Amino acid sequence: MGSLARAYGRPLATLITGITLLWILVLILVPLGAMVEQSLWWRDSKGDVSLAIDRLYNDISLIELDRNAETDPAKQAAFDKALAEKQAEVATLEAEEKNPPKTYGFANFTRMSALHFYIFVRTILYALLVTALALVVCYPVAYVVALASGPRKAVILMVALIVPYAINELLRVYAWLMILDYRGVINGILGWFGVVDLDNRGWIPFLENPSAVFLAMIYTYVLFMVFPMVNTLETLDRNQIEAARDLGASTARIHRRVIIPHAKPGIAVGCIMTFMLSAGSYSVPAIMTRGQGGDWFSQLVYRQFYESNNWNMGSAYAVSLLVVCTAFILIMMRLFGVGLRDIAK
Amino acid sequence: MRGKDVRLDKVSIRFGDSIAVQPTDLAIHAGEFFSILGPSGCGKTTLLRTISGFIQPTEGRVLIGGEDMAGKGPNERPTALIFQNLALFPLMSVAENVAFGLEARGVPRAERQRRARELLELVALEGFGDKKPADLSGGQRQRVAIARALAVEPSVLLLDEPLSALDLKLRQHMRTELRAIQRRVGITFIYITHDQGEALAMSDRVAVMSRGRLEQVADADTLYADPATPFVASFVGEQNVLHGTVAGLTDDIVQVDTPVGRLSGRVKGPLAVGEAALVLVRPERIALGVGGAPAGENVIAARLASRSLEGASVHLVCAAAGQNLTVTVPNGPNVRELPEELSLSFGTRDALVFPVGALAHG
Amino acid sequence: MSTATESAGARLVLNIYIGLFVLYLFLPLAVMSAAAFNSYDYPSVTQWRGFTLHWFVALANDQRLLQGLVNSVLVALGVIAVSIPAGLSGALILTRLGQRSGTFLYSVLVSPVLTPGIILGISSLIFWREFGVPGGLFVAVMAQSSFIASYAMLLFLARLQRQDRTLEEAALDLGASHTMVFRRITLPFLAPTCFTAAVVAFLQSFENYNTTVFAIGGEWTLVTEIASRLRFGLSPVINVVGVIFVVLTLVAATGYVLLKGKPKR
Repeated sequence: MGSLARAYGRPLATLITGITLLWILVLILVPLGAMVEQSLWWRDSKGDVSLAIDRLYNDISLIELDRNAETDPAKQAAFDKALAEKQAEVATLEAEEKNPPKTYGFANFTRMSALHFYIFVRTILYALLVTALALVVCYPVAYVVALASGPRKAVILMVALIVPYAINELLRVYAWLMILDYRGVINGILGWFGVVDLDNRGWIPFLENPSAVFLAMIYTYVLFMVFPMVNTLETLDRNQIEAARDLGASTARIHRRVIIPHAKPGIAVGCIMTFMLSAGSYSVPAIMTRGQGGDWFSQLVYRQFYESNNWNMGSAYAVSLLVVCTAFILIMMRLFGVGLRDIAK
Repeated sequence: MRGKDVRLDKVSIRFGDSIAVQPTDLAIHAGEFFSILGPSGCGKTTLLRTISGFIQPTEGRVLIGGEDMAGKGPNERPTALIFQNLALFPLMSVAENVAFGLEARGVPRAERQRRARELLELVALEGFGDKKPADLSGGQRQRVAIARALAVEPSVLLLDEPLSALDLKLRQHMRTELRAIQRRVGITFIYITHDQGEALAMSDRVAVMSRGRLEQVADADTLYADPATPFVASFVGEQNVLHGTVAGLTDDIVQVDTPVGRLSGRVKGPLAVGEAALVLVRPERIALGVGGAPAGENVIAARLASRSLEGASVHLVCAAAGQNLTVTVPNGPNVRELPEELSLSFGTRDALVFPVGALAHG
Repeated sequence: MSTATESAGARLVLNIYIGLFVLYLFLPLAVMSAAAFNSYDYPSVTQWRGFTLHWFVALANDQRLLQGLVNSVLVALGVIAVSIPAGLSGALILTRLGQRSGTFLYSVLVSPVLTPGIILGISSLIFWREFGVPGGLFVAVMAQSSFIASYAMLLFLARLQRQDRTLEEAALDLGASHTMVFRRITLPFLAPTCFTAAVVAFLQSFENYNTTVFAIGGEWTLVTEIASRLRFGLSPVINVVGVIFVVLTLVAATGYVLLKGKPKR
């Protein structure tokens, strides 16, 4: 704070510190904390409370009947007292039914059903697979764009990559939906050749296969792998490649010893972004399955919030996803020996 | 504009554990052209930034015109700093640059423009007001920086090696120009440099600084002829350095046994018989005894090892008892055919004998 | 100049590979665009029933989509208003902090970029409900800003790293107050980045789906509306939206290349 005041003056330093604190607290940390808190409690709606209330109302009606039949004021007073007691009891129980007490614990996490847990694991495995495949597909592309083309060709290639990257991911997914749909492009072409009979619904149901989501996901997120790699590879001094070649290294060895080590931070960033985006993607599975299937974990989270209205369970699912993504980031950073500052560039 | 005096009162500056400036007392007179000379990393820039207010001294006080500057930021001091890279505002025109300090003081626009024109005239840049700094040459940018600093009518102008980016010709020209401007405006100039030529040529007085400590404060002639420490002696101008042991001591004359024989010189510092000492002789003080009687009291027999022509003078490297001695002699008809064997001589007053201490070059 | 690390044959293979990759990227978009002009009421290119601009008219009359467009713009403007000051403040602080204390703050401020979008949407939804604010455009602005501000901050940080610190010192030395230094020196230096950051923020916000879908509640933006339409079957109107996006992007990219390709004076 002292150095800030010296650099920007007290009023300005206070202002920028205030804004930054607001950002951290209101937009990042407290919402995150609220979500974690939400995931750690639940309300038990007990059936026996409603039963007890029903029984009490029965009692009250009986007492009222008895009281109205009675003429002795002393006995009437006794009935009145009993009535008041019962009514007080009803009131507390009703309050409890309306607003069941919070219970804290990890049950939201442990209560995840076997099916949901299976989808959770499968989502992560698919996301890992998307990441690995994107890495393999993108490395040659990044290499050519960054190192093996003239400035003119590099610019053209960059534009060819940026344009699809800049187009809304929903529309990119939608394009694949068109291709794979029952009456989509592939079925249509197959229909021309008489392989399938569209008029009698004899199409191949590509969309019902989970790999449709997988395919669209690679298409949607592959470019998040390319750009970080291009960025780091561009900083490699091409003389290093020539020096290695001059020293008699084979192409494979040059890639293994010179180019890939240099690209490490870019590879780490690309993997982190691709994994994070695909593991947490809601758009791709939601559109590819037209909101019907439940193949992807993010869809389960959405349903907990907007269909089952169980925010506690939904938060627990979200926290689980966050934990996995954080772990992935930490592992990648350790594996590639890069710091956060290298990552966010 | 009126110059003010600057006083450092036991100023010391530490960054964490490292000491940038040792406790220092210094008095710079009002209206003086004062230079602080030292190798890079000696703490001179730190000292300058302390005077201008970017750094608060760890201990001690900075007084300008008798007023304590403690707690005052750079925008509250009667100083103006000319940065090493000049730090001209690239997005503003030259005139806006010059008028910036006046703008900060709330001077009305018309008055600002008038003053900016005057100052650009002072530095011979009339008509350049609408250009951007990037469109000017190195020397012109230099003068814009000076005009910008003078616009706020500082009592003390601080200059942080402002000529180092210029080429040699321009640098020499700017020296005279700076000196002339200082005479004209009459304010105190404090000039930081590692170039002894600049410091000696321009300054009324020079402080030589080494390792965060002031070695000597004196005018240029005194620094050259009568350096206070071996560092000053070897940093300012060239020196031959001979290591030896004190053999005899009388008043201000001392005899030292060196590898080239017994030499006598002036005492510079506490010496005692039997102790190690340094004998320093300037190359131009050594005379060549070619035939005839040696001119000085100290005579060394040497062999000519190499010769390099510098124009008006000739540098000779002579070897004597495994030591290399440099001798500078004026160029003349007789230096073309020097014999292999020479006798070098210099007077007792030309040799300075110091206790062993730090030298400027290793 | 290309670095000849590989033989002509290998080069050919690489070029074919790149060609296929670009084809892979563009073919689906081309298919999607073409179907917008087919008069068949199911978006298709294999069953061509003749060229039409009918679907463009249908889009122009689609009130929900148009309202979604307005909402998207409102949200994007809100995001700019929140994330530019936040990102700028964060960057200004980080450039002046020491390595050690800086790294922690940096991690916190950058973390939203590395967090799955749905998490940001969910946490904002929960947080604002505590204050009685249900999901809607406002919560969407807050949720999106949390990570878009990080992107803005990274842009500002990169710019500030190239700043000549002595300019601010010189201004201060000439008697300027800190506020004047900021207004006359720092802000003009950052102005181009403010513009870039605003454009990036607008695009990021406009395109965002994963965060928005959780935070938007009962309201809708163009993107969430498109997504919910897709549940009920495909319509060429969506393809028209796609065509407009593709054309705008192509125009912007070409303009950018032409501008950047122009030699500086």
